[in-house]
Amino acid sequence: MTPAISVAGLTRRYGGQIALDDVTFDVEPGSITGLLGRNGAGKTTLLRIIAGHEFASVGSVSIFGSPPVENDKVLGKMVFIREDQVYPCGGWAFRVRNALQAASWLYPNWDHDLAETLIRDFGLPRGKAVQKLSRGMRSALGIVIGLASRAELTLFDEPYAGLDPVARQLFYDRMLADYAEHPRTVLLSTHLIDEAAGLLERVVVIDRGRVVLNAAADDVRGTATRVSGPTIAVTDFTAGRTVWDRRKFASQESVVIAGQLGDAARARARALYLDLEPLTLQQVVVHATRMQEAGVRERTIA
Amino acid sequence: MKTLMRVGRFYLADWPEFVTLPWLIQGFVFALDLVVFAVPHVTSPASHGGMKYAGALATIYIVFSIVAGRSISKRLPLALALGVSRRSFYTGTALVAAALAAADGLVLTVLQPIEVATGGWGMHLHFFRVPFLLDGPWYLTWLTSFVGLALMFVYGMWCGLVYRRWNMFGVLTFAAIQMLALAAGLIIASRDNAWHGVGHFFTTLTIGGLTGALAVIAVAVLAGGYATIRRVTV
Repeated sequence: MTPAISVAGLTRRYGGQIALDDVTFDVEPGSITGLLGRNGAGKTTLLRIIAGHEFASVGSVSIFGSPPVENDKVLGKMVFIREDQVYPCGGWAFRVRNALQAASWLYPNWDHDLAETLIRDFGLPRGKAVQKLSRGMRSALGIVIGLASRAELTLFDEPYAGLDPVARQLFYDRMLADYAEHPRTVLLSTHLIDEAAGLLERVVVIDRGRVVLNAAADDVRGTATRVSGPTIAVTDFTAGRTVWDRRKFASQESVVIAGQLGDAARARARALYLDLEPLTLQQVVVHATRMQEAGVRERTIA
Repeated sequence: MKTLMRVGRFYLADWPEFVTLPWLIQGFVFALDLVVFAVPHVTSPASHGGMKYAGALATIYIVFSIVAGRSISKRLPLALALGVSRRSFYTGTALVAAALAAADGLVLTVLQPIEVATGGWGMHLHFFRVPFLLDGPWYLTWLTSFVGLALMFVYGMWCGLVYRRWNMFGVLTFAAIQMLALAAGLIIASRDNAWHGVGHFFTTLTIGGLTGALAVIAVAVLAGGYATIRRVTV
């Protein structure tokens, strides 16, 4: 199957600075992928190049098998909702209504009913100038456009900045419901990893412009465990295992170990009175990023 | 073509920006002129023989270029986010420019006979009739207005795109280059004692010829804008 997104050897330099460094990954069609990473990791630059808003220095991007740059056929299948979207503003106010109209005219699959529902749910004021919207309401406008356009490839860059938790949950729920009815490809960049974890089928983590993790979300979740208990027991249990992190409090110790734990290991941990706690997606991402920064080689979890 | 129509529609989502705003400003300036020229003994430097020449029709041309420059730079990011290519966006914008210039040129043309019929708005005012430029047959007035408005719009587009691509420094450089070109022309004309020829060119220039020259410039400006938008990033 042709990947929805195929990024190969992508590098982007700004002067002497490297924003993206030899990035390679594919996104299968009909999936929700999380693009995760710290501030300045290169997420937005990557999304901009995928959307054809920015140009690659080296390497290539293809969307449904074709390069996106100046390709109306490919671009028409794509919507890019970004946190820092610039909206028109002039002598005459450009209103929420105008933005929604414009989007509905450009997307043949525009879902009016879904747009109406979302506008009501978010309490988006149609008549207000986009320039005068609060940060949260601007995000809500982006979300309405992103979901109602039902584009085959939907790119979200931190779509919910300034939105309260209730509104964010609304976004997750609506997106999942609509995705189930109208499968498409979604690439979502976010910092709120655990919040969005239930949504994500795959995660691509980038740090300092490099891919540090590219795996199915379910595989990542069971990939590391925090073992806590008396230092002696912890040391005994974790001997010979890959340790990601180690913390000591008096005679207690808490260690993060990589790899799956079998039944025998779990039974042994119980016998040693050790607590086992699987790391959440967010914790795994934090560790993966830290190890990358500490100079550990790229680690790929199948 | 379908994409271009969509872009045109996208552009006119808030049509008052392009349709109403220029006429509001032009209307205000016109009303102001009516008031000023209604005062006894007020004339402008260009007035003679009891006729009053305003010259404030330039307003709509200037507003056209400002609206174009602002709107293209502010609309481009949303158009790209909504899956439009730069090329389609630019072509669609140029079509909007042509349509607006044709329609507003027609309004300017229609206002001329009204000005004549009302005796220059009751005070021998030449507001919509500009000597040499806009005082021929209606179709020439329309054509000249169309080309003039379109030229101002595409020039505004180019400036807006230069700003989008190279920021304020780019706009200043762009302006500086134009001034240098103008200065170079003046120097060459003076050095080669060509002023006689330049004068001859302008005195024998017909309005049709001038309109044709403006159209050529408009096409060149349009091409410059396209070259600029091709590598704009948002």
